[in-house]
Amino acid sequence: MITVTRSIKWRMAMWLLISVLGLGALLMLEAWQSSRQAAERAFDAQLAAAALTVSEAVQWRDGVPEVIIPPAALQILATSSEERVFYAVLDADGRQLSSNWPLWPVPDALQTSLGQAPDSAPLVVDQPTLHGSLRLYGREVSSAGWVDQQPVQVWVGHTLSGREQLTWALFRQAVSRFLIMVVLAGLLMALTIRYVLAPLRRLRHQLRMRDAEDMGPLEAHVPREIRELAETLDHLFARQRQGREDLLRFTADASHQLKTPLAGLQTTTELALRSDDPDHWREALGAVHDSAARTSRLASQLLSLARLRHIQGDVTQTSLELTGLVREVALDWAGREQARHHDLGLEPLPPAPVMVTAQDWALRELLGNLIDNALHYTPAGSRISLMVNREGKDVCLAVLDDGPGVASEALERLCRPFERAGRQDTEGSGLGLAIVETIAQRLGGRVRVTNLQPHGLQVALWLPEVRLSGAGLPEKRGLPGDSSARTEV
Amino acid sequence: MRALIFPVCWLLLMSPAAWGTVFPDEPRARTPLVISAALDLSVVSPLLEAFQAAHPRIDVDFREDTTLAVNDSVSNGPPAPDVVISSAMPLQMARVNDGWARRLDSPQARAWPDWAKWRNEVFGFTFEPIVMVYRLDLARHMLPPQTHADLQQLLTSHAELLDRRVTTYSPQVSAIGYTLSQQDARYSTRFWELVDAMGQLNAGLERDTQTMLEGINEGRYWLGYNLIGSYAMAYAQHHPDIIVQVPMDYSLVMMRMVFVHRDAEHPEAAETFVNFLLGPEGQHVLAGQTPLFSPLTDMAGPWTARRLREQVGEHLYPIPLDASLLAFVDPARREAFMRQWRETFGSVEDSPSASP
Repeated sequence: MITVTRSIKWRMAMWLLISVLGLGALLMLEAWQSSRQAAERAFDAQLAAAALTVSEAVQWRDGVPEVIIPPAALQILATSSEERVFYAVLDADGRQLSSNWPLWPVPDALQTSLGQAPDSAPLVVDQPTLHGSLRLYGREVSSAGWVDQQPVQVWVGHTLSGREQLTWALFRQAVSRFLIMVVLAGLLMALTIRYVLAPLRRLRHQLRMRDAEDMGPLEAHVPREIRELAETLDHLFARQRQGREDLLRFTADASHQLKTPLAGLQTTTELALRSDDPDHWREALGAVHDSAARTSRLASQLLSLARLRHIQGDVTQTSLELTGLVREVALDWAGREQARHHDLGLEPLPPAPVMVTAQDWALRELLGNLIDNALHYTPAGSRISLMVNREGKDVCLAVLDDGPGVASEALERLCRPFERAGRQDTEGSGLGLAIVETIAQRLGGRVRVTNLQPHGLQVALWLPEVRLSGAGLPEKRGLPGDSSARTEV
Repeated sequence: MRALIFPVCWLLLMSPAAWGTVFPDEPRARTPLVISAALDLSVVSPLLEAFQAAHPRIDVDFREDTTLAVNDSVSNGPPAPDVVISSAMPLQMARVNDGWARRLDSPQARAWPDWAKWRNEVFGFTFEPIVMVYRLDLARHMLPPQTHADLQQLLTSHAELLDRRVTTYSPQVSAIGYTLSQQDARYSTRFWELVDAMGQLNAGLERDTQTMLEGINEGRYWLGYNLIGSYAMAYAQHHPDIIVQVPMDYSLVMMRMVFVHRDAEHPEAAETFVNFLLGPEGQHVLAGQTPLFSPLTDMAGPWTARRLREQVGEHLYPIPLDASLLAFVDPARREAFMRQWRETFGSVEDSPSASP
């Protein structure tokens, strides 16, 4: 099921948009600040120049400071944006020697703070007045006279419209530069996405053109980031190829296995039909019966293997207690006719219940197959033991025998279907361990077949143990849990 | 742009008949419009008539007064005048700087040349040269002056003949006279020699151009310095023995400044009037029927700045219409200037002191 989510282009566009918006907000803030600072600097310089020109015009006459306002000072003060202008020249007592707004005296607080400023540093403030907000610039001039000398304060000011206009103009420039950049970046990004996604398009095209039967590895030039995807595809193809081959071999093997007893049946019945002796018929019927029984068992095992392999999805699994199950299975098998010539027993079981997550029937099938295998492939009188052990977080369930074992080079192949390790002398189908392994895979466990010393075979299954909290221990089912010796059943 | 706007304005404003078809006749209240002006009604009446014809529903109340009275009228309200016109440029500028004017945001205001307006609040709408005027009698005795230097030389060389026969503005009484003197002093320090010479021969100090012209006509004066050219030229048209001389070295140019009062009671009518004044129709009347001269370069007519330039050359120096005018109204500067003027002129003025 392929669910189509937002396209990569859309995602990249969104990320670009979000980052551009975030970054843009910061940039705009910065641009506004710097625009305003630039405008303030430019206009404050005009104020300073005007104040300097006015203070140059302060002269002493008869012991009194006199100022003849130079027209140029006012022109500088007004700037090219034609601000309203204000000026005032105050003597040491705060009297206006000259001012163009006599009704608006410079506030005393400003006069005082300018008077206290060290080294006649200028004072620049924004000041609301009768005529709107003004930018005021004050400096104190200590001018030398013939008779007397006292400091004179020169105040100049103008309205703020020029600053605002300049700020806006600078800000607009910054914004338009940024917007152009964003648009260009967007276009470049779109082109880049197109270019970058080209290998994916090629890969897609290649896959689409591929023959349905073609399971060979891909032949593609891909960038490093897509290599993983391409390799995964290759693995998928390889697994499918493997699966197909397994299926074909299984089908061939199964056909071969079914063909042999059927051919035997045909021969037996042909021979019996040629004879007139009812004893021959009877003998032939017996043989037919045995062969039919074996074939039927083979068919049922094939069916069970096929079913196990093809059940898909998650079948509900429950927690179940392992020792009790093993005991039951052992008892069950010990009572059967087949086990009459073997010594079937239990190794000492763990005293506490052992819980695993599994299906009851699957474990019974698994154990049954292992016991059945052991009964078939060991000589009469052999010992067959069932064992349950805790190993760390896992539980080991094993079936051991003291039979001849298996040639070590055949151990690996033993779990394949129809593998009998050269033992064609028995009635086994060769499917038992294959079924065991399939079940183990389904339960999330693993199977290992090992030879025992000096002789014998152990097939062990490891399953993860389910740890229960102390309160939830299931009731003991009357087991001789403390028995340390092998239990004959 | 201008080419586009003007025909539309012509169509809308110059044809009341067109208005009539758009808005059918209905009795509508007539709007009064109070204009406080330092401007001769006789000179400006063609303009007012043209305005009245274009806007019949506005009743113009034209109050002619002296520059100082006009300046007082700005702050004497309420009621405030709607439109203020004055030739006292520094006073007008000071009023505008103090925020008494209303900003105009019309196509006419925007199209007005930058050098003749400030903040789109006040506009210089005329272009009046400052001239010398003399009687033909003077020419019989001496070569008439053509430049400031000529005049200064003439005054010293013919001091006895010209005693009490020279007139100029009193800078003490007249705001225009004061402004002109300030501007003259800005251009050359030799202005003070001229003042000195005029003081030596007891020049008559008058309060306005009209009085000087009448004095010259009556023969009391032979020579007048720093008269407003617009009045003098109009006067000389009917008085053949009066000659108007635009100085050939430099000639100051004065502009009447107009603004709409901040507290105008009829702001729409006031803006209509100023837009008319600055628009092509008003300027056309100015250039064709009044001696006030249109400052616009693309106006046709006998009274335009371009025509004046063609006649007298490029040495016309308009008094700059900018914040530097504010320096002239500074009391301390005025006091220092007047002190120097009095000391140079020599005689203590007998006229009552008035300050702009």
